[in-house]
Amino acid sequence: MQMDNFKNPRDHFFKEVENLNHPNEELVKTHCSYCAMQCGMYLRVNTKTNKIIGVEPRYDWPVTLGKMCPKGVTAYQQVNHQDRILRPLIRDDQSLKGTKEGFREASWEEAYDLIVKKFKGLQENYGKDSLSVYGGVSMTNEKCYLTGKFARVGLQTRYIDYNGRYCMSSAAGGLNRSLGVDRGSTIPWTDIHETDCLFIAGSNTAECHPTSMFRIWAVQERGGYLIIADPRETPIARRADVHLDLRPGTDLALANGILHLLIKNGHVDEEFVKNHTNGFEEMKQVVEEFTPELTSEITGVAKEKIIRAAELYGKAPNAIVLFARGIEQQIKGVDNVSAYVNMSLVTGNIGRPKAGVATITGQGNGQGGREHGQKADALPGYRKIANPEHVKYVSSVWGIEPEEMPKEGVSAYEMFGLMEQKTIRGLYLLCSNPAVSSPNLNYVHQQLKNLDFMVCVDFYLSESAEFADVVLPTTTWAEDEGTTTNVEGRTIKINQAQKPLGESKPDWQIQVELSERLGRGKYFSHLKTARDINDEFRLASKGGYADYYGATWEKIDKQDGVFWPCKDEKDPGTPHMFLDKKFYHPDGKAKLFALPYRPSAEEPDQEYPLRLTTGRVVYHYLSGNQTRRIKFLRDMCPDPFVEVHPETAAKYNISHEESVRLFSRRGEAIYKVKITEAIRKDTVFVPYSWGHEQSINLLTIGALDPISRMPEFKACAAQIEKIDMKKVK
Amino acid sequence: MNKRLYLELENCIGCRSCLAACTQCGGHDERNRNYVYDVNPLVNTQTMPLMCLHCVNPACARSCPAQAIQIHETGAVLSALVEKCIGCQNCTIACPYGIPKFDTEQNLMYKCDLCIDRSKDGIPPMCASVCPTNTLQWLTDEEIERKQKQFNVKNDKWVTSIHLENETNVRVNLPGILQGITKLY
Repeated sequence: MQMDNFKNPRDHFFKEVENLNHPNEELVKTHCSYCAMQCGMYLRVNTKTNKIIGVEPRYDWPVTLGKMCPKGVTAYQQVNHQDRILRPLIRDDQSLKGTKEGFREASWEEAYDLIVKKFKGLQENYGKDSLSVYGGVSMTNEKCYLTGKFARVGLQTRYIDYNGRYCMSSAAGGLNRSLGVDRGSTIPWTDIHETDCLFIAGSNTAECHPTSMFRIWAVQERGGYLIIADPRETPIARRADVHLDLRPGTDLALANGILHLLIKNGHVDEEFVKNHTNGFEEMKQVVEEFTPELTSEITGVAKEKIIRAAELYGKAPNAIVLFARGIEQQIKGVDNVSAYVNMSLVTGNIGRPKAGVATITGQGNGQGGREHGQKADALPGYRKIANPEHVKYVSSVWGIEPEEMPKEGVSAYEMFGLMEQKTIRGLYLLCSNPAVSSPNLNYVHQQLKNLDFMVCVDFYLSESAEFADVVLPTTTWAEDEGTTTNVEGRTIKINQAQKPLGESKPDWQIQVELSERLGRGKYFSHLKTARDINDEFRLASKGGYADYYGATWEKIDKQDGVFWPCKDEKDPGTPHMFLDKKFYHPDGKAKLFALPYRPSAEEPDQEYPLRLTTGRVVYHYLSGNQTRRIKFLRDMCPDPFVEVHPETAAKYNISHEESVRLFSRRGEAIYKVKITEAIRKDTVFVPYSWGHEQSINLLTIGALDPISRMPEFKACAAQIEKIDMKKVK
Repeated sequence: MNKRLYLELENCIGCRSCLAACTQCGGHDERNRNYVYDVNPLVNTQTMPLMCLHCVNPACARSCPAQAIQIHETGAVLSALVEKCIGCQNCTIACPYGIPKFDTEQNLMYKCDLCIDRSKDGIPPMCASVCPTNTLQWLTDEEIERKQKQFNVKNDKWVTSIHLENETNVRVNLPGILQGITKLY
């Protein structure tokens, strides 16, 4: 491919539209701060005040063409919001931990001095690994990369992990072991509307990735089929050709059932399977028993629907399988992912345009953020700490001896276990709100309280910041620059539209300054701009699976993003994966996995007869720390609710809008009932973007997938109790 | 080239991005001027937008005793002129779709003006710009004609794309866009 002329594809949706330019305003080209759709947008900046004052669609962004969800439209309102933390905060009275109270403003110098004193003290008394870093992937690649280096070189601790463990880790685990590489999507999003059959499992796409919807509807407008597997009749399921309304936690049985029928119906691409995969016979043996009858019994989906879905998927000339947290946030999340990848492999629907498989990444930089060393076991470029060659290379970029590289740490939720044991005593938390987003919150809150010293870096006082001793004010996405990698695996550029508000600083600057004060300046002081970090991080990724070496900021700008791998200056990047049918395992073949079904960690029983599942609403993002503060979004959905089927509601004698007590073995909360027929009778649903006593994660279970260490947010057992109003004061 | 707002109701997912965007056009005082309804809230997730249809002979303007509601040369029925509106609310009652909203503090009617600052120069209104589902689109008459052919209007079951109360500048495809689709296989 000739680099000079290369531009990532634009499709028939693309229209040349001029933007409206208001007087005394500049339009700054960037992308949304929220999910991995990373919708293109312009921020309107008043040139006299240098303040962001609004948003303008970016019609020329080929993925989303100016489209935005309500979060995207109002995203700019985060920047100059009254709740911004403008100066560092210190809390001297530890007894106030877990509340908003007791913080006083301080100078950066005082805050840094205190952090350095406490961190050094802990490490002198309890060893280097007594500190931990808990990161997030709503940050640029530059920040995610530096956070890994900050933990391992700046703080010299092994304990670093990040919120992607609650989000993308099962997808990463499944894709890595099936295909040998974890690029979340094997195809660019501009292929989606051109496929003939979309099989979407465990994704409330309309609410979580709304700007995919025009492409998805277009499949049906062309005469293609839409198959949705979801316990709820979400807005996308409502219009599906087949809605597989399965019981939460039974996806593996459903996928095995589809595989059973694909084999039985002769829809296997035998050439492809023979030449490009291993493991077919073992897989076939396992799915043998998953007849439509057994599959229907386990999943609760009518046999006819399973048969119809398998037929439509099997017959499709081109088909794409998409999945998301619904199948991934389970104790068998990795197996679920591999099972759905099996479907695309046995039918040969991978490695060519309009056919493939993708996880619909949740967080803005969920893809890039997991590739560059924030994960407990990973180093930049998707390298592994367990691999001495990988350690050697990254050490050489960082200027340390390979022996100095800390060993593998533990996953996000497991870090709370180490806090309980006092192995971890200090925490540096950034870009995440685990006091809302973790499962089994009563336990997690206790461990956060239990810490000797905690730093939280955020731009709002999150529920997690309430447990901190020091809160450092960082910038929003619009006050810094850098790259993110979107849902497709396309690296894109975020631009600065406004100077940092108050005394806030970008995360990377805070980490450089802290490292200098910890006596580790020689590894960090040369990083004076986000651009400097980009140069170092591209080098650190060079030669890894997720190779960004050739993805320069200039190239991103010129060709509307760069799909990794992008190995050098001449390489335009890789929009489609596996076009040469070479997978990333040593023998070039993909692996079909034989995956026996197993139930969820906590199945409903007499005491807790309902299945509780969780998810999102379109108005809120993740823990809601940002979106709950935006007036339009809060007005549209101020509080969480529990969705209950009318027949179930009748059984409990509860009605629409009535407050009920919902409880599990781990916790309880009170919610208003939302009656809807769009949910299974055996299942209740609560959105998770709220904190304190409104958190549904007080009830969820901390059971982890054995490979990805992903908690099972999507299925636990619960019970509803009518509140006796006579007893309520 | 003249472009129109065009609606495909059954694409709607209820995200209300159109309402959020309505506050952002710059000329709307950050107040949204349209509606999205839950069609059957206790049953399913069906929603639909209710947008001003910009009638050719609009009831709102006809009912205005103060000539406060002007019709732009593009056909857009504008919001009430601040200096003329007497706050009588005739328009809010007259409109069969209930589009005009009333600000009691300002004693002023306000309604969708198709983001006239944008649409007069062919730039799509904010709602149609951001709509993630293509429920709201900004199309030429030729594109709309193609849509009507594609969706096989006037099949023997029902007629889509008819005018509603009277002749409107906005075009609406009533439910049924997939009825005439021939499946690929």
